[in-house]
Amino acid sequence: MIPKLIDNVIIGLNMNIFKPIMLTLLLLQAKSSICNESSLTVAVSANVKYAFEDLAAEFTKETGVPVKSVVSSSGKLTAQVKSGAPYDVFLSADMKYPEALYKDGLAVSEPKVYASGMLVLWSARDVDLSKGVAGMADGTIKRVAIPNPKLAPYGREAIKTLDYYKVRASVEPKLVYGESISQVNQYIDSKSVDVGFTAKSVVLSPELQGKGKWVEVPAESYEPIAQGLVMLRHGQAENGDATRKFYGFVLSDKARAIFAKYGYKLP
Amino acid sequence: MIIDWQPLILTFKLAAVTTAILLCIGVPFAWWLANTRIRLKPAVEALVSMPLVLPPSVLGFYLLLAFSPEYWFGAWLDREAGIRLAFSFEGLVVASVIFSFPFLVHPVQAAFQNLPRSLTDAARVLGKSSLQTFMHVLLPNIKPALMSGTVLGFAHTVGEFGVVLMIGGNLPNETRVASIAIYDEAEALNYAAANFYAGVLFFLSFIILLAVYMINRRAQK
Repeated sequence: MIPKLIDNVIIGLNMNIFKPIMLTLLLLQAKSSICNESSLTVAVSANVKYAFEDLAAEFTKETGVPVKSVVSSSGKLTAQVKSGAPYDVFLSADMKYPEALYKDGLAVSEPKVYASGMLVLWSARDVDLSKGVAGMADGTIKRVAIPNPKLAPYGREAIKTLDYYKVRASVEPKLVYGESISQVNQYIDSKSVDVGFTAKSVVLSPELQGKGKWVEVPAESYEPIAQGLVMLRHGQAENGDATRKFYGFVLSDKARAIFAKYGYKLP
Repeated sequence: MIIDWQPLILTFKLAAVTTAILLCIGVPFAWWLANTRIRLKPAVEALVSMPLVLPPSVLGFYLLLAFSPEYWFGAWLDREAGIRLAFSFEGLVVASVIFSFPFLVHPVQAAFQNLPRSLTDAARVLGKSSLQTFMHVLLPNIKPALMSGTVLGFAHTVGEFGVVLMIGGNLPNETRVASIAIYDEAEALNYAAANFYAGVLFFLSFIILLAVYMINRRAQK
């Protein structure tokens, strides 16, 4: 009905050149107003990206509500939310950022741990990973990528494990800092570095499974990364029903099974 | 707030080294481009200008692959010279030279093309070698273009971000330049530090461009 209406208006105005443009604009507007009613926008930390695809698919199957994701590092997503980005729910890589949002009143639920991230060493080059983290001190390894420890919890924990194995002094000169887990993966996958610290969820993802080789970093050498979930103010205000449903879903048994599949430790 | 000056110092070191290299290869290249009659000239000119229109991420992406010791160029460098360009200051210099090349070459080439042909002829007739002619007759006559090309090349290197983000690896004192430091501090929600670096770059960029326009105005008089 709407296109017909538009047609009438346009023919009436007799503006042939503008017709396609106006039609597009009106359709876009119509589309976006539909989306606002029943779809969900979730801010997703880079390490959760792979598990999230399964999560979103399952949620949409259950409820019929489509889910859009914005994937980035937790720090960037937090800055975006602070500047008014229209996200409904936030799956962070740690607890610090959701807590900051909660304190500012931009998140409306207390941060809850939905999964704990595990570290792995991953390499696409021909290097020896059998000695694990201690082996990073070896002379054959020249470049080691980690997420920036100042910004990314996975980087912070990677530094802890270097301390634990007392190889930090010899490995530090080899370190290359990715701005997020994603850039570390890119450095490893393009073989620009010999090896890198990344999330277990990455190497278990269907996209990257079987690429190169990886070993688990023993859990006693660092603190598994507690990842926080919050409902955002925008979601509660604009999209309350779907937001609450999705929030509950992320903490449900079905979601837990998905997180477990991707190598997360569960709370 | 404790101010870390390292990113700013590194930025200007990178820009200075890049500009020096640009002058050494860019000026003779611009002269050649201004005078050549080869049929491929439009293709060469297009290639030189590519960094003006390409997203820096395109260049960064290809350089990342080129510098990787797994692919032929990086493997060759690693094998022959033991050099790994990815995540190093030298790598940034290579990237910056490519990226800022048109900013120096364009004004200089245009200036060479505007010089009357008789200038070269006269110098040669008077017994000067082609090198002498180039150094003592042509270069002094294109001084304003040389100045603005140098300043633009320098300024553009200072402002480089995308390429460095992709191939730098954020190493303090090595590849963590000011533009990266701003991005980093802003992401860490450390707005005071980001504001400091951003303010310095903002102010300096204005001064640099002001210098270019003042040089141009004087040249026109």
